[in-house]
Amino acid sequence: MKRPPLVLVLVAIVMIALGETSGALMSLGKSPIGAYARARIAANAPAHGLTGSLEYDDEIRARTTFATEAGLSFFHTHAEGVGLIVLFVSTLVASVTTWRTARRALYTLIAIGGLFPLGYLVYGFAALELGRDAAIELAETWILTPLGSGMIAGALGAAAVLAIRLVRRARA
Amino acid sequence: MPADRTTEPAPTTWTLPPLGALLVAIVLIACAEIGGAAMVRFKIDLARWARSTMLRHPAVHGLVGVRDVDEQVLDEALVKFDAGLRLFHMHAEGMGLVIIGTTMVAVTLTASPVSRRVIVLLLTIGGAGYPLGYLAWSALIPYHGIERGKTLAEWFCWGPFGGATIVAMWWLTAVVAARMVRR
Repeated sequence: MKRPPLVLVLVAIVMIALGETSGALMSLGKSPIGAYARARIAANAPAHGLTGSLEYDDEIRARTTFATEAGLSFFHTHAEGVGLIVLFVSTLVASVTTWRTARRALYTLIAIGGLFPLGYLVYGFAALELGRDAAIELAETWILTPLGSGMIAGALGAAAVLAIRLVRRARA
Repeated sequence: MPADRTTEPAPTTWTLPPLGALLVAIVLIACAEIGGAAMVRFKIDLARWARSTMLRHPAVHGLVGVRDVDEQVLDEALVKFDAGLRLFHMHAEGMGLVIIGTTMVAVTLTASPVSRRVIVLLLTIGGAGYPLGYLAWSALIPYHGIERGKTLAEWFCWGPFGGATIVAMWWLTAVVAARMVRR
C-alpha cells in the first residue's frame, strides 16, 4: 500500500495522540476540571444566566459542567477514531487514485475532516465561556459542520474512486 | 560507511509492522469481540457472580444488612462492573486498530533502529495492556469495591500502559514532524 503525504500522517498521529492524552487527563483530572468549570461559570455569570438563586444556579452549573465533560469525552473517542480513519482512508486514496488532481482534492478533504474532533474540544470550553447553547451553535456552525462535511466528502470521493475502478475492471 | 537513514527521503510505501505487534493487535481485537459476545451471552451469570461475591465481602462494600440500603449499593457496584466490561470491549477494539496503524507508521518513518524498536514496543505493550485495566477493574470490584478497584487498575494498568502509549504517540508525532521539516 502506498503512503499518503506526511502532512496527512501527521494529522492522523496528532489526533490519536491528543485523543489518548485527553482520555488520561479526563480520568486523572476529574476534580480539577470540575473546579475549573465552576470557576469559569462564576466568571461568566451573565452568559450562563445565573440569577443568585442557589437551587437554580446549581442546576445550571451542573448542566454546564456536564456539557464540558461531555465535550472532552466526545473529543477523546472521536479523535482516536478519526485519526485512524485519516490514516487508513488516505492510504486507500494514495493506493487507488491514479488521477493526480483527484488525489490532491481527496487528501485536502480528508486532512480538513481529520480536524473535525477539535469541534468537541471547542464546544467543551466554549460552554464555560459563552453558555451551553451559544457553545453548541459556535461549534456546530464553524467547526463540526464544515470539517465534518470535509470528511464525509472525502470518504464519498474515495468510495467513488473505488466504484469507478470496479466498473472499469468489469468492463476490461 | 552505512548511509545515514535520517537524511534519506521518507519511503513512499508502508512497511509491514513486526508480526509480534500484529499478533498482539489481532488477539486484542479478538478478545474484545469475545468480551462483547460474552457480555451478552453470560450477562445474568456475570451479574449473579458479582452479586454473590459482593455479598461475601460486606465490609468492603459497606453493606449494613438493611435491604433498602444494601440493594442501592449493590446496584451501583453492578452498574460499574458492567461499565468496566463494556469499556474493555470498546477500548480493546479501538486499541487493536491503533496498534496496527501506529506501528505501521513507526516502522515506516522512524529512521533510527533503536527508536523504532522502542516506539513499536511501547505502542504494542501499552496498547494491549491499557484495555486490560478495564477488565481488571471489573474483576476487582466485587472483591475490593469500586474505588479501591479503580485505584488498583490505575496503578497497575492504566497508569503504566496508558502512559507508555501516550509517550510513544508523542514521540512518533515528533518523528513524523521532523521528517516533514527535513523534507
